[in-house]
Amino acid sequence: MTIASMRGVVKRYGSYVALDCIDFDIYEGEIIGLLGPNGAGKTTLIHALTGLTPVDHGTVSLFGQAKQPFSRQNKERLGLVTQDITIFDELTAKQNLLFFAGVYGLKGKEKQERVKEALDFVGLGDKGDKNPAKFSGGMKRRLNIACALTHRPKLLIMDEPTVGIDPQSRNHILEAVKKLRDNGTTILYTSHYMEEVQAIASRVIIMDQGQMIKEGTVEQLIETIQSEEKVRIDVTEPYLVPVNQLEAIAGVKQVAVAGNQISVISAAGSGNLDRILTIVKERTGVVGIQADKPNLEDVFFTLTGKQLRDRGERE
Amino acid sequence: MTIFRYTLIRSFGNKTNLLFLTLFPVICIFLPQGEPWPPLPYGYQYFGIVMLFVGIRLATLIIEDRVNGVVKRLAIAPISYLHYLSGHLLAYAVIMVLQCVIVVYGGVAIGRELAQPHLLLLLYVSYSFVALAIALAWVSIFRSKDTAFLVYMSLIFFMSILGGLIIPLEMFPDLLKRLAVLMPTYWLERGLDWLVYGERMADYWIVQGVLWLYTILFVTIGSFKKLY
Repeated sequence: MTIASMRGVVKRYGSYVALDCIDFDIYEGEIIGLLGPNGAGKTTLIHALTGLTPVDHGTVSLFGQAKQPFSRQNKERLGLVTQDITIFDELTAKQNLLFFAGVYGLKGKEKQERVKEALDFVGLGDKGDKNPAKFSGGMKRRLNIACALTHRPKLLIMDEPTVGIDPQSRNHILEAVKKLRDNGTTILYTSHYMEEVQAIASRVIIMDQGQMIKEGTVEQLIETIQSEEKVRIDVTEPYLVPVNQLEAIAGVKQVAVAGNQISVISAAGSGNLDRILTIVKERTGVVGIQADKPNLEDVFFTLTGKQLRDRGERE
Repeated sequence: MTIFRYTLIRSFGNKTNLLFLTLFPVICIFLPQGEPWPPLPYGYQYFGIVMLFVGIRLATLIIEDRVNGVVKRLAIAPISYLHYLSGHLLAYAVIMVLQCVIVVYGGVAIGRELAQPHLLLLLYVSYSFVALAIALAWVSIFRSKDTAFLVYMSLIFFMSILGGLIIPLEMFPDLLKRLAVLMPTYWLERGLDWLVYGERMADYWIVQGVLWLYTILFVTIGSFKKLY
């Protein structure tokens, strides 16, 4: 069953096209990963899907309703975990949840139970009376997620929910997302972190420059580049590597230099390794070679020609 | 009621706010009487300035919500923007009306000469709504809480001087006297003056009417700009 969909959605800011003819469906019970570099249009897409930004063309449909997708009834079934931590420092963790539960119309005993449930769910059951101003970044993120859960949304949109937190909190959040899916919540999950999306998403959408450039399961996406092989060569003087000369070799699709490492993607079975090594060795010393199995990051790189995030952005 | 209730809790959850909301109004009750000006004890004159401060202190919660992204989150919740704004304004109004009650009847209780305390309360309440409305309009312009508050300090000083809350209007040149009519503080001062020296009841209601017009004007300006 389709929970949400976009058909031919276009959003412009002046002459800049933020969303360019977006078509996709979100099906009940799936975790859909939305990947894209900064400026790809992920946030605009989320804003369009939640009604925060009106679209210029096309239709947005939520819970089967295209005429009034953002009706009160539909809003009650929608949850948003914002990229910013949108909680009140003046209130305790429990009061924060009571506030959002109240906003969604929960009352009395049910409200109290849902708040307790949400606090336990994100592992803050014993911190309800504490002020979030004293929480660590990871605990604040978890509280931020809990605020979107008290009303048990059917569709939960999570906009980069793990930015800047410790690995322990990240694992906690990823496990929580899977549990939510198991409990029947449909999730749209955006992230800069490829491995997170690879670990939890049942389907992935890759966006760049306002366009959806590929969609499919992680396995399907990796399959699309199985016909390619990737070689990483560690060199002593990367600035001497003749990138243009490498790109000119028949079958070579991408060449990238990052730090002391050159990554070359070329057609499988093209026998290019010897040629590549010969050219590289003519200019600089080679200290290591490795051939990788393609992963989601390689798919992204092959499709967009970009790294999703800078090297060293996150350990 | 959720927005209203938690706005009240948040308003008292900050130590600086607590000072503005409790200590300053109480101090106003105990300030001495001036001779021959102002018509009421100094504290009742300066309470007009305190209310402007309180208004902006309270309304900066709206800027915080905007900067923190809370309003974005609320925008996809099943409540309207009007609901959000009215919840905030109602909470602020309750706080300010309570302050007015404390200042007026606290003064009566300790024997201050307040001429007509019930009408004074009504005047303060109307003026407190103006203070809130101006603050709302003000915060709709700014994206930084600190900048909004600091720049507003200058505006408060300007309005207080020109409106005659700090210096008697009679001392001003004619041009400034004419400009003073544009200040809500001028109408408060005129109302305070009427409470002691006024004769025609209609003059009091004219002051009330002008204050309400200011409230409507500034609430409209402040509500016009969506916060996300």
